[in-house]
Amino acid sequence: MIADSVLRVRDLSVEIALPSGTLHAVSNVDLEAMRGETLAIVGESGCGKTMTALAAMRLLPRRARLAAREISLSGTDLRALSDKAFSAIRGNRMSMIFQDPMTSLNPVYPIGDQLEEIHMRHRRAGRRRARERAEYLLDRVGIVNPRARLGQFPHQLSGGLRQRVMIAMALMCDPALIVADEPTTALDVTVQAQVLRLLKDLQAEFNMALILISHDLGVVARIADRIAVMYAGRVVETGSSGQIFGAPTHPYTRGLIDCIPYPGKTARRTRLGSIPGIVPSMIGDSRGCMFRNRCGWAEDRCRTDGNAERRIEEGHSYRCIHPVGHLQGAAS
Amino acid sequence: MSAPVLECDRVTRLFRVKRGLFETPATLRAVDDVSFSVQEGEVLAIVGESGCGKTTLARMLLGLLPPSGGSIRFAGRPMRQVGRSEIAARVQPVFQDPYSSLNPRKTLGQIVGLPLAVHRIGGEPERRSRVAEILELVGLPAHLVHAYPNQLSGGQRQRVAIARALAIQPRIVVFDEPTSALDVSVQAQILNLLLELRQSLNLTYVFISHDLAVVEHIADRVAVMYLGRLVELGGTAAIFDSPRHPYTETLLRSILTPDPSLGLPPGPFGGDFPDPLDPPPGCRFHPRCPSAMEACRAVPPAAVTDTAGRVECHLYNGESHGR
Repeated sequence: MIADSVLRVRDLSVEIALPSGTLHAVSNVDLEAMRGETLAIVGESGCGKTMTALAAMRLLPRRARLAAREISLSGTDLRALSDKAFSAIRGNRMSMIFQDPMTSLNPVYPIGDQLEEIHMRHRRAGRRRARERAEYLLDRVGIVNPRARLGQFPHQLSGGLRQRVMIAMALMCDPALIVADEPTTALDVTVQAQVLRLLKDLQAEFNMALILISHDLGVVARIADRIAVMYAGRVVETGSSGQIFGAPTHPYTRGLIDCIPYPGKTARRTRLGSIPGIVPSMIGDSRGCMFRNRCGWAEDRCRTDGNAERRIEEGHSYRCIHPVGHLQGAAS
Repeated sequence: MSAPVLECDRVTRLFRVKRGLFETPATLRAVDDVSFSVQEGEVLAIVGESGCGKTTLARMLLGLLPPSGGSIRFAGRPMRQVGRSEIAARVQPVFQDPYSSLNPRKTLGQIVGLPLAVHRIGGEPERRSRVAEILELVGLPAHLVHAYPNQLSGGQRQRVAIARALAIQPRIVVFDEPTSALDVSVQAQILNLLLELRQSLNLTYVFISHDLAVVEHIADRVAVMYLGRLVELGGTAAIFDSPRHPYTETLLRSILTPDPSLGLPPGPFGGDFPDPLDPPPGCRFHPRCPSAMEACRAVPPAAVTDTAGRVECHLYNGESHGR
C-alpha cells in the first residue's frame, strides 16, 4: 500500500432544519486522514469543524440531516452500517477526545472502571486484561503511579490529568483514527504543550491517523502535517502545513494568519490585521462564496461562482476566484 | 517619569477554603506579598496560569475585595479612604465573558448609560448623547442602542462591555482576559480597538491574560504571577527577549507561534501545577524548576530589584547562593 488512507469523507453536507429555515452547517466537505499523519481542521466558532467530525463519528444531533458520497474507514463504508454495527467501531477503531474532560468523564465512577469498560466491551476481554491495559496506557500518557489513579474519581484529578485520562481512554482499543476536538483549549499553556507533545508521540508510536480540530493557528502549525481551513461550513483551503502557512491563498486563510499577534514578528503595539465584519448567517441560501461580504476582493461573480475548487500544486487547493499571495492577479 | 496611579504594597489576600464536610478549613494564599505600581498611561499586563491569583488581584485593584494584608493606594491615597463610589468612577472593569457580564433584559442604551445614572452625571438628554458618543467610539452602529445583548455577536458584546467601562471616563481600565472567549479574527478587532482607545483617551490599562502572544503585543510592562507570588516584573522587551525567572522561561517556551517549521517545543515543562492549598516550601516553583538548587527547597527567595525590573529567584540573589 502506498497511501494508507484511514478516514475518507467525500462531499459531506450536514443540514439542520430550524424554524427560520435550513442551516447549512457543513457543505460539500472532502477530507482524507492518512495513517501516521495529523490532519488539522481549523476555523472559527460555527464554521462546521466539529459538525464534520461528529458526522464522521455518527454522533450528530438527531435533527441534523447528513448527505455524503463517501464516508469510509480503512475501506469500510460507514454509511452502510447499522447503528449497532457502528457502535462496535466507535471507541474501538475510531475514537474521539473532547475539549472538556470534566463533562466527558462520568463523575460517579472511578476512572479505572471507565477505561476498562471500553476494552471489555469491544474486545470481550476479562476485567484483569482490561485493567492491565488501562494501567499500561495511564503510564504511557505520563501519569505517575497509574495503579493508584485507577481507583480515583474524575474530580480528584487536575484538568491536565483528566485530559491524559481521556487520551488513554481513546487508545484503549488501539484505534486506527483519533479525532481530537480542541483537546487543549481548556488547559493552561504549559500543560497544553505537554498534552500536544504526548498526542504527537503516541500517534507516531501507534501509527494512527489523528484529526485535530482547533481554532488555534499556533497549535495547528506546530502539530499538523496537513491542514483544512473551514469557513461557514466549507473547506476553503487545504494543503500541507508548509503550504498553508507559507503560501496562504484564500483571502480568509490569509486574513486569519494576519490576525494573530506573533511574538518577534508583529511589531509591538501596532494594529493587527483584522477581518472586518462577522460570520454570515448560514441559514437559507448558501450559494456562492460565503466569505464575500468580508472580503476585500469580492465582486459580483463571487455570489454564484466562488466555490469551485482550484488546485495550485499537489495537495494544495482552494475555493476562490481571487486568490491572494503569489497567485494574486494570476487567476482567471 | 509619570506618577503611579495605583500602588500595591505587600498586598496579600487569604481565603478560607472548606475541603470536606468535616475537615478544618484550609487557608488559601491567593495573592501573597505582592508589590508593584501602575504608572499613568501604561499598559501593565499580569500573566500566569489558572489559580495564580491574577483575578483576585484584579478584584482588589477594582476595590471589590479588600486585601487581607498590605495596602493599595490610588493616586497616592490609600484605597480604604477613597470610597467605593469614587474608585468605581476611576477604575472600571471589563470581564472575560461578554455573555454573562451583560444584563440580558436591558438594552445597550440602558447598559452603557447605567454608570452615568449611578454617578448622577448629566441629565437624561446629555446621558443619551453621551451613550451615542461612546457607542460610536467603540465601533458600534448607533441603531444598536435599542438592541438587547442576545442580538449581538460575541465581539459586539465585548464592545458593549468596553463602552460601559468607558462611559464615566475612568482613568484606569482593568481587563480580565478580555479576548479569551472570542474568535481570533474578532480578538484582533478588539485588540486594535483597545490600542486606539488608549491613545485617544490617554487611558491606563491593567491587562490580565494567560495568552502571552497577546500580552507581548499590547503591554508596556509585564508582571508574571505563580501561585500567588509575583515572580517577575519587567518591561515587555526585557521579559520576552531576556526572561530571568525560570517560570517566565517555561511560559515563553510554551507559546506556540504559527511556524510549521518549529514543531512542538521541547520539554520539560516540569509537570503539573501544585495544589494551591498546599504550596511547596521554599520557592513555590522549585518542584517544576529545571535549575532548582538546595536553597530553593527550603528558603523562599527574596525579591531582587534592579534597572531591568524585579525578580524573585535564588539564581539572582547575589553571591550567597551562587551564579
